[in-house]
Amino acid sequence: MIESQRHSYHLVDPSPWPISGSLGALATTVGGVMYMHPFQGGATLLSLGLIFILYTMFVWWRDVLRESTLEGHHTKAVQLGLRYGFIPFIVSEVMFLFAFFRASSHSSLAPTVEIGGIWPPKGIGVLDPREIPFLNTPILLSSGAAVTWAHHAILAGKEKRAVYALVATVSLALVFTGFQGMEYYQAPFTISDSIYGSTFFLATGFHGFHVIIGTLFLIICGIRQYLGHLTKEHHVGFEAAAWYWHFVDVVRLFPFVSIYWWGGI
Amino acid sequence: MWRRVVSCSTSAQFQAVGSCRSSPSLNLTRRFLISSASTPSTPPPFQRSPNLSSPASGLKKVEDIMPIATGHEREELQAELQGRDILEVNHPVGPFGTKEAPAIVKSYYDRRIVGCPGVEGEDEHDVVWFWLEKGKPHECPVCSQYFKLEVVGPGGPPDGHH
Repeated sequence: MIESQRHSYHLVDPSPWPISGSLGALATTVGGVMYMHPFQGGATLLSLGLIFILYTMFVWWRDVLRESTLEGHHTKAVQLGLRYGFIPFIVSEVMFLFAFFRASSHSSLAPTVEIGGIWPPKGIGVLDPREIPFLNTPILLSSGAAVTWAHHAILAGKEKRAVYALVATVSLALVFTGFQGMEYYQAPFTISDSIYGSTFFLATGFHGFHVIIGTLFLIICGIRQYLGHLTKEHHVGFEAAAWYWHFVDVVRLFPFVSIYWWGGI
Repeated sequence: MWRRVVSCSTSAQFQAVGSCRSSPSLNLTRRFLISSASTPSTPPPFQRSPNLSSPASGLKKVEDIMPIATGHEREELQAELQGRDILEVNHPVGPFGTKEAPAIVKSYYDRRIVGCPGVEGEDEHDVVWFWLEKGKPHECPVCSQYFKLEVVGPGGPPDGHH
């Protein structure tokens, strides 16, 4: 720092990934619109865009790992900045999901005459909250405990145990996702079935999408822990994944109570 | 946020810029600012300070704390273990600068931006910023604190070295 840059921050090298991500996003959005309207080639453009975005994420974050673990650019100041930045990101995700839960409450607290003036709407066969949803909620909560176990293992320098704990976390997460998927498949109602279906699948669907993202993040952390990247002094990536996972965990409680439980009474 | 290094005992001791104001025996010393970032003295939220107390046997090495450290991270850790401030150029310490004993500001190049906040306590004023150049000592227009540049690096213009 003294000889080479005289400050403890990381000024990144020029990189093509921001523009490639933007082009991917452009292709995704335009392709998506084309697909949803009667235009040729929409599906192709949409899939190309999504693949491009995923590729950009892979190479961008691979570069971050290279710059941090392999090149040592992430000093204490940089680590702090990353932590401080990730929190507003999680808050923004909370806002996003909040919108869908609000939509659900908006429709369910004052049900309109078109659905019979009652909630759940007339004719909707709701899922019994005491069955799969009641099982899935503690599965997710246990995975939250497992990720805390992993964190303590990392802090204590028990590297193997940390890998096991992360494997446990991811396994529970995959079981959760599997059960949710099975439930979606077997549900007696679809997304087109009145406002109930729309709000149900959008709220739980986006939550599930975030679970999948969180699971992927934790898998990457598991791989990195196995490779020895994470040390007890420095594991910002893992902390971010754990925070994200706790957010996903806590958010699960809201739809469980308001949509599954209260919404089915 | 600026770090305050308060040495013990007499009022002739140095005192650097700090965020806290009170200092029982040293309320007559002055301070000056450098326009660059520095680390606060207490760890901010979410920052874990590593436990760097050396064992009784001797100085710890980077390998004991974090073997895979490399690059700037390693430099930072090494300096912390040796107890030296790697960015000490940005934290000048000293009594009020006068013509006979000017406040020395270190710099890698021939000129540096410096800010004078005045005397500690009642006589402090809004920060006055100025370029301090090699061979041209500068006097603060408000409180007349006298500054002199000391070049500790390669010298030359600060923007001509990329």
